[in-house]
Amino acid sequence: MDNANDANNAPEQDDPIKGVGCARKRKEDARFIQGKGNYVDDIKMPGMLFADMVRSPYAHARIKSINKEKALALPGVHAVLTADDLKPLNLHWMPTLAGDVQAVLADEKVHFQYQEVAVVVADNRYIAADAIELVEVEYEELPVLVDAHKAMDDDAPILREDLVGKMDGAHSKRVHDNHIFNWQAGDKDATDRVFEQAEVTVKQDMYYPRVHPSPLETCGCVASFDKVNEHLTVYITSQAPHVVRTVVSMLSGIPESKVRIVSPDIGGGFGNKVGVYPGYVVSIVASIVLGVPVKWVENRMEHLSTTAFARDYHMTGEIAADSDGRIKALRVNVLADHGAFDACADPSKFPAGLMHICTGSYDVPVAHLNVDGVYTNKAPGGVAYRCSFRVTEAVYVIERTMDVLAQKLGIDKAEIRRRNFIKAEQFPYQTALGWEIDSGDYHTALEKVLEACDYEGLRREQQEKREKGELMGIGLVTFTEIVGAGPTRNCDILGVGMFDSAEIRVHPTGSVIARMGTITQGQGHQTTYAQIIASELGIPSDEISIEEGDTDTAPYGLGTYGSRSTPVGGAATAVAARKIRAKAQKIAAHLLEVSEQDLEWDVDRFKVKGVPGQEKTMKEIAWAAYNDRPEGMEPGLEAVDYYDPPNFTYPFGTYLCVVDIDKYTGVTKVRRFYALDDCGTRINPMIIEGQIHGGLNEGFAVAMGQELPFDEQGNILGNTLMDYFIPTFVETPKWETDYTVTPSPHHPIGAKGVAESPHVGSIPTFTSAIVDAFSHLGTTHLDMPHNAFRLWQHIRELGLDKRTG
Amino acid sequence: MKVNMEKSFTLPGPAINAWTFLQQIEKVAACMPGAEITEAIDERNYKGKVKAKIGPATMAFNGDIVVEDIDPEAMSLRLIGKGQDSKGTSSAAMDLTARVIAVDESSCELQGNAEMTVTGKAASLGGRMLTQVADQILNQFGKNFENNVAAMGPDEAAAQQAKEELAQQPKELNGLALAWSVITGWFAGLFGGKKA
Repeated sequence: MDNANDANNAPEQDDPIKGVGCARKRKEDARFIQGKGNYVDDIKMPGMLFADMVRSPYAHARIKSINKEKALALPGVHAVLTADDLKPLNLHWMPTLAGDVQAVLADEKVHFQYQEVAVVVADNRYIAADAIELVEVEYEELPVLVDAHKAMDDDAPILREDLVGKMDGAHSKRVHDNHIFNWQAGDKDATDRVFEQAEVTVKQDMYYPRVHPSPLETCGCVASFDKVNEHLTVYITSQAPHVVRTVVSMLSGIPESKVRIVSPDIGGGFGNKVGVYPGYVVSIVASIVLGVPVKWVENRMEHLSTTAFARDYHMTGEIAADSDGRIKALRVNVLADHGAFDACADPSKFPAGLMHICTGSYDVPVAHLNVDGVYTNKAPGGVAYRCSFRVTEAVYVIERTMDVLAQKLGIDKAEIRRRNFIKAEQFPYQTALGWEIDSGDYHTALEKVLEACDYEGLRREQQEKREKGELMGIGLVTFTEIVGAGPTRNCDILGVGMFDSAEIRVHPTGSVIARMGTITQGQGHQTTYAQIIASELGIPSDEISIEEGDTDTAPYGLGTYGSRSTPVGGAATAVAARKIRAKAQKIAAHLLEVSEQDLEWDVDRFKVKGVPGQEKTMKEIAWAAYNDRPEGMEPGLEAVDYYDPPNFTYPFGTYLCVVDIDKYTGVTKVRRFYALDDCGTRINPMIIEGQIHGGLNEGFAVAMGQELPFDEQGNILGNTLMDYFIPTFVETPKWETDYTVTPSPHHPIGAKGVAESPHVGSIPTFTSAIVDAFSHLGTTHLDMPHNAFRLWQHIRELGLDKRTG
Repeated sequence: MKVNMEKSFTLPGPAINAWTFLQQIEKVAACMPGAEITEAIDERNYKGKVKAKIGPATMAFNGDIVVEDIDPEAMSLRLIGKGQDSKGTSSAAMDLTARVIAVDESSCELQGNAEMTVTGKAASLGGRMLTQVADQILNQFGKNFENNVAAMGPDEAAAQQAKEELAQQPKELNGLALAWSVITGWFAGLFGGKKA
């Protein structure tokens, strides 16, 4: 921590209530580091059976027959279910969050490799694993489509026979059988006009590869149907348990009051655990049919191959500018590869998520975004991998294109950003694509980083190295995020507005239990929500219990993803606490026999203004709430808030990265990475630090190594940890962090959310640094991942590895 | 996952011996380590299986083999094999064109051009080694083929030795030996030496 002595980073012992701003130690860690977490796979129930999937080796094939006899004959096997078995229940297909449908088990056709074809339920997972090999499936291969650019060709194989002729898509007219939607934002004509007359234009194609969040814990569930009470309980690795309850009720017909979804401890989600997967559905069906609990937990290959991927965006960024590099217009085109079913997890109205934040931190007068989504023979998904609904893609395209503009004009990339930033006095700022950025101070953040890293010194050093033929690159990114979905006027999932909730109860002795509609997966909610309540109510956070994830007890909420916990759930928590404090003030006035207006709040008590010693602590008030309250007031001290945010929040940051690339091996050494984040009010600086380190690690993983490529037969490559890059302590660079504080004006405590900024911001920073190492040779862009082999190939193309002398 | 391979093997004896042998599909298949014809449907259509053991994993591919384009003039034929492993997790296909070219009275050449395609787990887990593994399989195939042709004479001593070697032929793909030859082959290639 570079700012350990800062007032904003109060150590625990200096803050008796451990409220907002305190570096309180994480309350979750005690159980995690002792191996006492309670994850889905830890759940064992009497008579529990195990489900395992028969999966397709082909990416596109017709199923000619399925023979279950040998599998059913294996002792210990209870059931083998196929799409035909689910058909009478109408569960062989299920709706996706994006308005499409997805096969639960392949119905006549398989659309991607490793697609679920049948499920085996057996006494234990070993028998189930043996039994899936005994299910005989006869396939007839079909032509495979893996190249999104060929998806809408006249002769492209048609993937979705169930949609043939249905040209009214969920989001727009479809113009081809493999077309999902066209979505646009901004003013096309005005943008085109500016481009026609512009002094300077730049255009850069870039591909953001298909990657996978791959959290430590894979997806899984235990479904338990109680036939006597007709009550269904599902323990599940879900980032949105309440939404799952609604979906399960809608699909099964069981009243929502008789469905209980529990998200226990979750070993990381990063967007992967937002969706509803076939494994969950078949486990629930199997439990209902067999009347016993059924567990399904995917292995790593299944996880990487089938449960939601992220990205896979083919993007073109174009900027029109004047000769001083001032942006006049932005044009972005996207071809989005959604795989075989459109199962993106985005607010319903936004099929490309919040991609239209792609004007970035810049004052862009006019802009246009065009996105076409297409089907290919790949697994469905398109989740926000540690980001807020395509923000990573949006930041990537604008930051890359800004660098290209700077390069074309010969203007330094720090200077071109300085010239185009939205100025501090312009906030709240209306973007050309329809957002209102709440607050920001981009110039201060940039200058702080440039000074801390001696940017000019780095540029001089780079010049010297270039003269010696060495490859050194400096990456710079000044990103703006959009998080905290979102205002219910434009954000919903399956028609449910994206509010969130908190319910706080103060017990007679002044301790607190609070429950939220969000769900922690490593973010430390038990720690930070308590700090918000502690600051609002003056009750020590150690006496505040936080519970989430059990739909029978927690209030309805939309869950945790898109950095929405603090902006939405945290706001609900603060507002609910303020309702309690308002009631407490009435009780205090009653106890002190003064009017409410005569009281002032001081940390943990109400004091009578100007009369020292006349005061009531929150603990005394809590006791009184149950036995000595004003006449007519209902007993108790609790409140609920369902918070509908008036706007998103817009965290931002400036990241700088220095790399040295070995020109003979292509190996990159990240010499320095400096991350300055502004997430508004900082609730727990230690947790922020941890979140930023984690996000930078994942950003490093994506930029430098992660990808899920496909060969022309539709084989997914990179779906094992032999190939899929998960950085360990060995590969991870040293991170330096810094911050500024620009509170959100509309959030009750001014906080903006932070966990995703480092992922969103760091990825283009790495690309910026890598490209910068070659920019003097005319390179404007290199697609990720920037692994040694790919860089070595580029070095060879440029002929830089020839030994001289 | 698709690889193209071209191979040629020098064989003893006149070309007609090799061509005669090449048309005996069941015997040719037996030259492939771990492969056998399980059913001859007619002269052109067969059912067969290939068993491969690599490390802890055993894969048994069951499939169909079709013989096409038999051209006695050019002494060439085409074999198309396609199969799925018995566990349903992988599939493999091979499209092989083989021909015999006369060199002189006592030797000839077998030329093969194969396109191999694998899908599923075999591609996910074994894809990066596919070229090398296929190369080793084909080398073994070439050795067996050569012994079979040599056994047809006319050199009696060589025929006897070839028959003995054939008797010792491993019945399935041996993963450990295979892995070793892949590794040595890779190193040989790396240092520009002659392939093992």
